[in-house]
Amino acid sequence: MKRSKKAALVLTVPVATLLIAGCEKEVQGMVYNNPDECSTGGWNSAEQCEADYATAKALHPQVAPKYVNKQECEADFGEGKCETAPQQTASGGSFFMPMMMGYLAGQMMNRGGANTQQPGGANMQQPTAAGAGTSVPSQPLYKSRDDRETFRTATNTPVAKGVGPVSFKPSQVKPQAGRLVRRGGFGQQAATRSSFGS
Amino acid sequence: MQRINIAERANWRAYAEEVGFDFHTFDGEPYWDETAYYQFSLQQIEEDLEAPTEELHQMVMDMVGDITRSEEMLTQLNIPRDYWSYVWNSWNSGEPHLYGRMDLVYDGTGPAKLLELNYDTPTSLFETGFFQWVWLEEQIRNGALPGRADQFNSLQDKIEQAFIQLELPTPFYFTSVRDNAEDRGTVNYLMDVAAQAGKNVRYIALEDIGVIGDAKDGSQQFVDLDGEPIRGLFKLYPWEFMVQEEFARAVTDGNTQMVEPAWKMLLSNKGILPLLWARYPDHPNLLPAFFETPNSEPMAAGWVRKPLFSREGANVDLITTGGEQISAAGPYADGRYIRQAFHALPKFRDEYRNADAYTMVGSWVVGDSAAGICIREDATLITKDSSRFLPHIILD
Repeated sequence: MKRSKKAALVLTVPVATLLIAGCEKEVQGMVYNNPDECSTGGWNSAEQCEADYATAKALHPQVAPKYVNKQECEADFGEGKCETAPQQTASGGSFFMPMMMGYLAGQMMNRGGANTQQPGGANMQQPTAAGAGTSVPSQPLYKSRDDRETFRTATNTPVAKGVGPVSFKPSQVKPQAGRLVRRGGFGQQAATRSSFGS
Repeated sequence: MQRINIAERANWRAYAEEVGFDFHTFDGEPYWDETAYYQFSLQQIEEDLEAPTEELHQMVMDMVGDITRSEEMLTQLNIPRDYWSYVWNSWNSGEPHLYGRMDLVYDGTGPAKLLELNYDTPTSLFETGFFQWVWLEEQIRNGALPGRADQFNSLQDKIEQAFIQLELPTPFYFTSVRDNAEDRGTVNYLMDVAAQAGKNVRYIALEDIGVIGDAKDGSQQFVDLDGEPIRGLFKLYPWEFMVQEEFARAVTDGNTQMVEPAWKMLLSNKGILPLLWARYPDHPNLLPAFFETPNSEPMAAGWVRKPLFSREGANVDLITTGGEQISAAGPYADGRYIRQAFHALPKFRDEYRNADAYTMVGSWVVGDSAAGICIREDATLITKDSSRFLPHIILD
């Protein structure tokens, strides 16, 4: 016989990445426009405010989304709201990224686990897992062009409308610390040539 | 080799859509066409198609090493100098290859002639390996074809075996251009067969592939949407594009095992045709071919002009022996060309449409074995992505 003994399919739907959901508990943090606002708020010491801000500021060029031209960046983040990123493209060109519009102070949860009420998922919490042990770095926040109220993480997760305390699941705001992930560097010829098989 | 009319299966369209073959009709025109089939004798299959396919495959494989060491040939093939050592390494470290398809002119008698090799990004795999196989089984069950009818189509068996034997990183990723149904059809099928071979498979759209730079040495690595490294990647995207795009450096920096491997860019290139002809002049399965230069004669009757890199018949010009000029438009007019002697595709009569059909045989290779054929028909002498796909049988 010159043909296969069987021809069968087992994956009727494309393999999808399953989102990790479930019992992850929420933690708290604070959203500020700048460290002065943080110090005057009285929740944290001026030193802590500066330290969180410095952490976020250092992370900003690493995690901010990158664009190969300014227009595309401004289309997402608004006119005059983008700046040149320190990284360069393989061919030596510039990247653009949105300006940091605020920051999330993630240190809240590392102190006072006993007196900070966890607003969500209370019935799933393990008593030993309150706050300390889970770490969410302080990080920069951004605002999109069409929604100037909402602070968003570098991966476009909305965090808060306006400044103040926020609760969130650590995985929602986990930055790709120290890593710069660029995407879209393949497929540029997709615009001019529609089929790639032969 | 005959073209024989047959009734379509009643519910084939619904079935096609159920199994993800939603591109069976393209812009209102049939792509999968089962109003007829081609019938071959076993001798035609084994002597005229299977054996020459394996011989031609061996001939080109024997040339790869020489090309990787030849500045002249690498230049003729337009391989960017920055990639010469990468290609050399990919060959000399024995990076495995999976599959390819060679396109042949064959009319039922005499030696099949090699038109070109699609050894980097061949598609129509699902249609060949799965859909025409099911067609035959069903037509036998329906009594429309005799139970002893066979098909030259061991694609699924051979691809499954290849995935069982290949040592691939886990998980192993598959990528294609987002929103291209035809390319996705081939990739989905490969993923499916790989899963049946026990591989842990994942899909990522080409445009979603990420690159991270190492903080210490600046070297680059592919990552998936979760930022996890991609250590093994099947890419249905041409090597000649990848090496020109922004992420090219991550290919050579990173430790991602690529399938097809980089050395396949030497064989999916039309430049392999003149190199083959120079190495094996007057081989019965080859057509005379040479590189076009600024000093080449103007195109004469009986010659075909093809870009080094072109797909789906795009940008091919030909002048038949009778002097008729035929051209296919396309987006590949920016490179260099080869010339190949014209050898007409056989003409059959499509009674269903009351039109002529020019027929090409695609012959598959998995690993180093011939693995079956697919038939494409076009209203012109140039087979294109819109050319219809017809099933075939072996019956003596």
